[in-house]
Amino acid sequence: MYQYDDIDQTLVDERVAQFRGQVARRLSGALSEDEFKPLRLQNGLYLQLHAYMLRIAIPYGVLSSRQLRALSQIACRYDRGWGHFTTRQNLQFNWIKLEESADALADLAKVQMHAIQTSGNTIRNTTTDQFAGAAHDEIEDPRVWCEIIRQWSTFHPEFSFLPRKFKIAVTGSPNDRAAVRVHDIGLRMHRNAAGETGFEVIVGGGLGRTPFIGKTIRDFLPKQHLLSYLEAILRVYNQFGRRDNLYKARIKILVHEIGIEAMREKVEAEWLASRDGALRLPREAIDQIAAHFAPPPFEALPAGIAPAYAEAFRRDFEFGLWARRNTAKHKQPGYSIVTVSLKKEGAPPGDASAEQMAAVADIADRYSFGEIRVTHEQNLVLPHIRQADLPAVHKALKAYDLATPNAGLASDIIACPGLDYCALANARSIPIAQQIALRFRNWERAHDIGELKIKISGCINACGHHHVGHIGILGVDKAGEEFYQLTLGGSADENATLGDILGPALNADQAVDAIDTLVETYLRLRSSSEERFLDTYRRVGLAPFKEAVYAAA
Amino acid sequence: MAKAPKLDSQPQVVTANDLKSGDVVYLTRAAGWSRHIAEASVVPNAEAGAALLAEAAAQAKMNVIVAPYLIPVDDSMTPPLPVQFRERIRAAGPTIENTPAA
Repeated sequence: MYQYDDIDQTLVDERVAQFRGQVARRLSGALSEDEFKPLRLQNGLYLQLHAYMLRIAIPYGVLSSRQLRALSQIACRYDRGWGHFTTRQNLQFNWIKLEESADALADLAKVQMHAIQTSGNTIRNTTTDQFAGAAHDEIEDPRVWCEIIRQWSTFHPEFSFLPRKFKIAVTGSPNDRAAVRVHDIGLRMHRNAAGETGFEVIVGGGLGRTPFIGKTIRDFLPKQHLLSYLEAILRVYNQFGRRDNLYKARIKILVHEIGIEAMREKVEAEWLASRDGALRLPREAIDQIAAHFAPPPFEALPAGIAPAYAEAFRRDFEFGLWARRNTAKHKQPGYSIVTVSLKKEGAPPGDASAEQMAAVADIADRYSFGEIRVTHEQNLVLPHIRQADLPAVHKALKAYDLATPNAGLASDIIACPGLDYCALANARSIPIAQQIALRFRNWERAHDIGELKIKISGCINACGHHHVGHIGILGVDKAGEEFYQLTLGGSADENATLGDILGPALNADQAVDAIDTLVETYLRLRSSSEERFLDTYRRVGLAPFKEAVYAAA
Repeated sequence: MAKAPKLDSQPQVVTANDLKSGDVVYLTRAAGWSRHIAEASVVPNAEAGAALLAEAAAQAKMNVIVAPYLIPVDDSMTPPLPVQFRERIRAAGPTIENTPAA
C-alpha cells in the first residue's frame, strides 16, 4: 500500500500543529465559535447530537494492520471503545472531546492518517472496490488511480471552496462494487477496441435530496489524461455550479439543468486547453505510484480448491455457510477474499469495538499480509487469505463475533447513524436495522432468500444509500413522530437504478413488518431460487408488493 | 381530537453543548450548566425563555458552551420531558446498545 513520503508526513504533521493552535485559541476565547467552526470541520470534527464526532479519512478504504491497531487504541484512549465504519469507507468516532481532539489527530498522523477533507465543500475521500488488487474480475488495480487522485486533490487550492462537496469513486472491474454511477464523478476502467486500458467517465450521479444516476460524459479517457480531465470537470462545476441554493449546488443539478451534451461541450473545451499541460501523467509517475501497490509475496499454489478448505467445508456446516457467503474468488490461485461482517444480527451496523479492530489487525498480520479494507457496505475485508487458512481465519473471527455468515444477505444492512447520533437526522436508523436483521437471524431462511440489499437513511441526505437499496428505507418526521418510507428496486451496481416509492410512509413497527411482507411476497413470486429479490421486482413490478404491504397495514 | 399546544407556549429550558467535551448541557437554576435536565431552569413559555437564552448567549461568548437554544418540555414530568423526540434522545443518549458485539 502507499507509504507517505516526507512531503506527505510534513503536511499532515503541520496540519496537526496548526489545529492544536486553533483549538487552544478557541478554548482561550481568542476564536469565537463562528470563527472556529469552519476550522474544526476542515479537520473532520463535527458537533453532533451528543458530542463532537471525528470523521477519519481511510483513503479508498485501505488500511494496514498497524493503522487499524492505532484506530483501536484511539477508540480506547479518546472515545468510548468503539468506532463506526461509514458508507464513505471512513471511520467515525462519536464521543471525542474538543480538548483532546488534536492529540487524537497527532496519534493518527503517527500512522499516516488524518481527517483532512472529510468535511466541507472539497473533494472528499476517493472510494473504490474493496476487493481492489485481489478481485478475479479486475482489469487493473484502481487503488493506483485513487492514490493519484488523492495526491492531486489534497489541498488543491482551486477546489477548496467548491459550490458543494464532491465525491469520486473508481472501479477497476466490470462488476461495480464501488457504486460509481451514484457519485459526482464515477470512473470505470475498461479496455477499448485497441486493447488499451482507460476510463469511462461518468458525471452527475448522486443520492441525497435529488437522486440521479450519473451520465457518461466520455466513453474512453486514456489514463495519462485522467487528472487533466478531472480538473476540467471540476473547473466547469466550480464556475457554473449553483451557489445560490444549497440544495441545488451539487454537480448533479448542474448536469441535469444544462444537460449532458452541454456539460460535455464545456468540459471538452476546458480540457482541450489544458490536456497536454502539467497534469498529463508521465509513465514514470504512474509506475512510481503503482509500485506501492505491487502484489504481496503470494505463494505459488495450485489452482482449484485447496484440500484443507474442501475438507472443512464438508465437515463443518457453520464454516461452510460462512465460506459460501463471506468469501470471494481471488485472482491468485489458492487464495480467497474474506468479508468480515460487522453486521451481527442485532448489533449496530458498521460498528466495531476496539477489541474487534485489534483482533482483525492481528488476523490480517497472520493471514493477509497485514492488509485490511473497509467496504462502503460497512464491513471489513481481509483481501488475501490462503484457502487452506480459511478455517483458521473463520475460527479466529468467530471468537470476536466477526464471522456472521451474512455478506450480501438481508441482515447485511447499510444504516447511517440516524437520529441516535446525527444532528441532521429526522428518524432513527440503527434500531430499525437491528430489528430487521433479527427477523433474518434464521440462517436457513436468510440463505434461502439470498442476495437482498436493504439500506436505511435517517434523513433525505441519504448517507445510508436508501435510493439504491433493493429495499430502501427513508426515515421521515411526521408531526414529531418517526415514519419510514420504503422504496423498491434500487441498485448501486453496474446496472444502477433508483428505487421506486412503495406508498405512504409507515411507522417503525409497520415498517419492520413490511420488510417481512415484502420478502414473503418475493418468495411467493420468484420464478426459482436463483432469481434474486431485485430480479423478481424487475420482472413483476411494484404492484404485487404494494398490494401485499398495504393490504396488511 | 384536541389540538396540541404550540411549542412556544409550552414550558421551556435552555440547552447547549459544553465547549470542551461537547456534552449536552442544560442551563440550571443557579445559572450554571448541568448534564442533567432534572437540574434545568424551567420557564413557562418561550417569551419568558428569552431572558434565559440571553444569559446563555452571554456564557457562549465566555466560551463555556456552544450554540444555546430553547426547547419545549413537559414539566409535569420529573425530570422535565422534552416535547420533541430529537431532544428526548439528546437528553437520554442514544437509544441503542452501544457495544458492537450485541
